[in-house]
Amino acid sequence: MISGWRWPGSLRLRLLGATLVTLALALAGAHAWLGGLFRDHVLRQFDTTLVLQLDQLTARLEFDAQGQPLIDPRSLSDPRLDKPYSGLYWQLDRMSPGGQTRVGVLRSRSLWDTQLALSADALADGDLHTHDGLGPQGHAVRIVERSLAVPEQPQARWRLMVAADTREALAAADDFNGVLAASLAGLGALLALAALAQVAVGLAPLKAMQRALQQVRQARTARLEGRFPAEVQPLIDDFNGVLDRNAEVVGRARTQAGNLAHALKTPLAVLGNAAAQVPGNDLAPLVAEQVQVAQRHIQWHLARARVAASQGLPGQRTPLQPLLAGLLRVMGTLHAERGLDIAAADMPADLAFAGEEQDLQEMLGNLLDNACRCARGAVHVHAVREGALLHIVVDDDGPGIAPAQRADVLQRGVRLDESTPGSGLGLAIVVELAALYGGALTLDTSPAGGLSARLTLPAAA
Amino acid sequence: MRILIVEDEPTLRAQLRTGLTEAGYAVDEADNGRDAHYLGDTEAFDAVVLDLGLPVLDGLSVLKRWRDAGRAMPVLILTARDNWSEKVAGIDAGADDYLTKPFHMEELLARLRALIRRASGLASPVLQCGALALDTRSGRVTLGGQPITLTSHEYKVLDYLMHRPGTVVSRTELTEHIYAQDFDRDSNTIEVFVGRLRKKLPPELIETVRGLGYRLVAP
Repeated sequence: MISGWRWPGSLRLRLLGATLVTLALALAGAHAWLGGLFRDHVLRQFDTTLVLQLDQLTARLEFDAQGQPLIDPRSLSDPRLDKPYSGLYWQLDRMSPGGQTRVGVLRSRSLWDTQLALSADALADGDLHTHDGLGPQGHAVRIVERSLAVPEQPQARWRLMVAADTREALAAADDFNGVLAASLAGLGALLALAALAQVAVGLAPLKAMQRALQQVRQARTARLEGRFPAEVQPLIDDFNGVLDRNAEVVGRARTQAGNLAHALKTPLAVLGNAAAQVPGNDLAPLVAEQVQVAQRHIQWHLARARVAASQGLPGQRTPLQPLLAGLLRVMGTLHAERGLDIAAADMPADLAFAGEEQDLQEMLGNLLDNACRCARGAVHVHAVREGALLHIVVDDDGPGIAPAQRADVLQRGVRLDESTPGSGLGLAIVVELAALYGGALTLDTSPAGGLSARLTLPAAA
Repeated sequence: MRILIVEDEPTLRAQLRTGLTEAGYAVDEADNGRDAHYLGDTEAFDAVVLDLGLPVLDGLSVLKRWRDAGRAMPVLILTARDNWSEKVAGIDAGADDYLTKPFHMEELLARLRALIRRASGLASPVLQCGALALDTRSGRVTLGGQPITLTSHEYKVLDYLMHRPGTVVSRTELTEHIYAQDFDRDSNTIEVFVGRLRKKLPPELIETVRGLGYRLVAP
């Protein structure tokens, strides 16, 4: 095991790497095996021809009256045997019992003035041996020899051999090897392309999954959408299950927080009214004050619980325009008595907040409500997107807030104007919610001299 | 002026009844959505105080049914639900105002007065008819700046007429808007109240349109 080595991080590289290495090894192996097989076959054929030649020579071998061997060259069919250094040769050696060998007692004309050198060999009568040796001009030759004993000369043994130049045969094998290598390389290239295509097709669902996840992250969809292959679909279903469950848990948390708040508010209303309706009740101011305190606590913690529940949920995208339109309708109705000019500047339809709808509604609702309470005649809203940020600006033409006091009003429960109704939590809740989303609320002076509240939030794609 | 209170919490409902009655309104009550819908659909109210979380039928559904049926009386939603999304839903369902609990009775009364006034197309909280002025906020009636003392019923009749200056108001309509449903109504008493009012005010101010009813005319 190689320690410290890891598979590369990319699945595509792993698959491709493993496939291509295996492919290269298999093709190289096939090349070696097939090449060897062909070479063996060529040599076997070569040997068979040599043996045929040897058989013919053996048949033509005669001895004259003096016991001298004799082979009539004209009786041999292959013309190469007569042509010097033609590449096909034969030779007859005489081996005496004493170990002395007379090389080249007879030989083909093609050997011209050379001899075939062959080491001593102990062959049984009629046996065939094949050798690789060197021919007349130093070329490699294949030699087939046969040992013979003739009844006329029982003391002598003859060694008859046929040799042929192997260059042509081996060149044919090499040619074949070349063609084989080229074919296998072509096959390898095709298979590599097929592997590439296979990996691309095989990993395509992962790409699709990544895109689907991105859609969820960018809040364009709430779940992973699309059909995936059977191997991936269970993962998608499980993931969607987790998303659904998350949303459900958040929804339940919100509902429960809301239910608790509602359950507490009616008794508080009863308590406050009861204290106020009894004439001459000394406790009335105390009860009213404590009811107010309890209400602030509820409002504050309910707002926080709502946001905390939705934090980190993927897939949140709230288009600004319709939400703002709804809130402007509400402001127009709630502040109908004041006859305000409440309007929003034209804004791109795709402006969207990367977060939960109710949270944006809380922030904007509080800002608009605050502006409507303070305004003398007009409240104007405009919004722009700058990079990843969404800026929503609510301007009013009210008295505004002095720069020195601006930090104070953003704090929980601080009210500059005790004469208007409200818990004093509105702006503090906006600050808190915006901060939870990584945004901010800044106060400035509006063009009309009133308050300009700028809410900066993460924008959705 | 006649108000319908829809609230399922009995103590709060009683408090609302007390507060509104003391402010001079005739009050009818419902403690569930179905009864509320029936009352609002069949009786004449000048305003409705509507809770949202109600048994049988929720407040928003009641409100939508009224509006779908063309019932246009002003409706103030009084609820513990204080999300802006809930306020948007309430206003879009046809509510005219939205007040969240806990609340101050004075604020509820002020908003109701404003709702009723706006429903009559009147802008100022001080209703004027010639030298006669009725301040809806304080319930004070003055004639040429001099205060006039009225009984509760006299005030109710004058208040209703002053919300409809120049319009003929029948005795039945006056009865419907001055008494609650379970009150033993007798339209003859209206004549008595009008008679008394004529004695305290310039007599030509309340004109009798024979066979039709009464009309408040500025001299």
